[in-house]
Amino acid sequence: MSKQSTFTENKRSHKFLSRFHIESRILLLLGAFIFIAAFFSIIEKHFLTPRSISSMAFQCPEIGLMALGMVITIIIGGINLSVNDTANLSALMAGLFLVKLVPFTADYMSPFIIIGIAILIALVTGLLCGVLNGVLVVYIGVPPILATLATLTLFRGISVVVTGGKTLTGFPEQLSAIGHQTAVGIPISFIILVAMGVLMYMIFKHTTFGFKARMLGTNPTAAKFSGINTKSITMKIYILSGILCAIAGIIVMSRNNSVAYEYGTQTYILLTLLISVLGGISPGFGNLIGVLFATFIMQMLSTGFHMLLLGVRGSSFFKDFSWGVLLIAFLIIDYFMQHKKRTV
Amino acid sequence: MKKLVNSREFVLFLILVLVSVAISIKSPSFFSASTLFDIIRSSLVYCIMAFGVLMVLISGNVDISFVAIAAMTSYSTHMLLLKLAYTGGITLYFVIAISMGLLAGLLMGFIVIQFNLPIFYVSIGYWTLLYGFNLFFIGATMNFDLPEGMVGYYARFLVKVRNPVVGETGLHISVIYLVVIAVFIWWMLKYTIFGRGLYAIGGNREVAIRTGYNVKGITYTMLALVGILAAIAGVIQSGYSRFFNPVLFMGKELDVIAAVVIGGASITGGRGTVLGSVLGVMLIEVLNRGLIFAGIPAEWQKLVVGLVLIIFISIPAIAEQRAKRSRYVVVPKEDKEE
Repeated sequence: MSKQSTFTENKRSHKFLSRFHIESRILLLLGAFIFIAAFFSIIEKHFLTPRSISSMAFQCPEIGLMALGMVITIIIGGINLSVNDTANLSALMAGLFLVKLVPFTADYMSPFIIIGIAILIALVTGLLCGVLNGVLVVYIGVPPILATLATLTLFRGISVVVTGGKTLTGFPEQLSAIGHQTAVGIPISFIILVAMGVLMYMIFKHTTFGFKARMLGTNPTAAKFSGINTKSITMKIYILSGILCAIAGIIVMSRNNSVAYEYGTQTYILLTLLISVLGGISPGFGNLIGVLFATFIMQMLSTGFHMLLLGVRGSSFFKDFSWGVLLIAFLIIDYFMQHKKRTV
Repeated sequence: MKKLVNSREFVLFLILVLVSVAISIKSPSFFSASTLFDIIRSSLVYCIMAFGVLMVLISGNVDISFVAIAAMTSYSTHMLLLKLAYTGGITLYFVIAISMGLLAGLLMGFIVIQFNLPIFYVSIGYWTLLYGFNLFFIGATMNFDLPEGMVGYYARFLVKVRNPVVGETGLHISVIYLVVIAVFIWWMLKYTIFGRGLYAIGGNREVAIRTGYNVKGITYTMLALVGILAAIAGVIQSGYSRFFNPVLFMGKELDVIAAVVIGGASITGGRGTVLGSVLGVMLIEVLNRGLIFAGIPAEWQKLVVGLVLIIFISIPAIAEQRAKRSRYVVVPKEDKEE
């Protein structure tokens, strides 16, 4: 008798939880987020100050947006290795426009219009990059990992050619607002990141487009035979990915007040992959909010260990080590959680 | 004969020859023994790493941590021996680095197999973990202090050539390692249960398990070999460049994978050869060097390589699509309207 009642109780509590659609990975990420924040704020008294929090919020949007661009392609079963170079190329095109045109137009054009046009140029460049990726994947049928690997080299090549390998600087002051100003105490770039994250979450959770994209990720053949236009969806996803990277590029440009073709080329691609895996994204599955949390966790580890190990030789490199440990630990914890589910 | 002509390796070889001839016509100084030796020398380490990548790709996985293993093993071996005031040659370097690489590979194999995880995901974590380990625990700066026995290593040649422009160069002795390793891996892939198993796993993992292949053992062996090959490549590269770099090969992992894929390995598994990988790496190296000889400005090179890459991956994809289309039976028009 008593066994029966606990069983129903269990079921009830399960129903209660499932109403909120909380996935185990999100709980895990939330737990890690709180644990890491608590750990650092206990050990390091400067960690939980407004200054360090805002500095973290200023640093993470660029990588977070690129990670979003990576993640949406992983959900449909692809991958976009060209995220970083798309961002750089878009920023360079916008930067080139600003540097070449501003001296001539500054007299009779408001700087806001010029910056608006520059941002538009960046977005269009990102869109075109996405179109090229999409065409290679969809119409030529190249596996995404190869297609984007080739476009990575191509985009970097174009970036080198248009700038001659030099770093572009000297943009109008108003541009730096995106990367340096706050609105209601929150950095604008951070608001952009969260807005984009929530927007992507909504798209993949609550629209038919998102549902179809997920279906394409779980089983492309089944998706095709159930009448989904897989080509158009893949194309749209790669274009969206390009645009997200372009936004990241704009933020990079305005935060550093300069753009270079080699910005982050050594590590950013792998970092975005790391965030995607940490966020629990796999073809067809995954919650986009998890990606945001994963980005914050990475940033906290980076800043936290940097503060903690201040003065130790090579202190800023401990974060790489900790990221790797965290990712592998997450994968292993995930395995045990899945394993438990299967055996029960 | 027809099989040979149709094979991917032959086509690649033809393209390689064509590109070389085209560059030589544009710039006759390209066509010389010293250039050839130089290309062999600089593509050698990538070839050795490419064999590891090849095995992983054949098994239907992707691994990117091999560059980090190369950096970690070579750099920490060097720092260890430096502490011990070692003065001998490169042999001990190889011994220590290879055993470290073996351990690193086995550890990764343990994580992958014990927890049933995809190699790609684990290798991302492993990549950043190993570079972080190197930079934080071992050292963050390049080290130029070589033990006496290693000072002359970069100029130990099998055959010496005098070139009026470059001076004295030659075929480096490490080409022997390459040949030995290439033959060994070729033999492993072709004539051992391990090699057969790799192709079987890449073709269809489930079927390979049901057929009775020891998938766990094969994965362990594969990752251990990847670690060993990476360690060898790391030591050779450091010997060439005469310094030890904690971030050796960082950012090169995707280039090596691209070269192997150009060499005919399938990214989805089950296909790929040793010869193809060597030719793939050589082709990229010839392009990189040849563009300089052909007088193309340095800033245009990346763009040209990118375009060539796109063409190279598009042609087989288009051919495959055509083949697929012709495989389907054409549906008569009346049926379609139904």
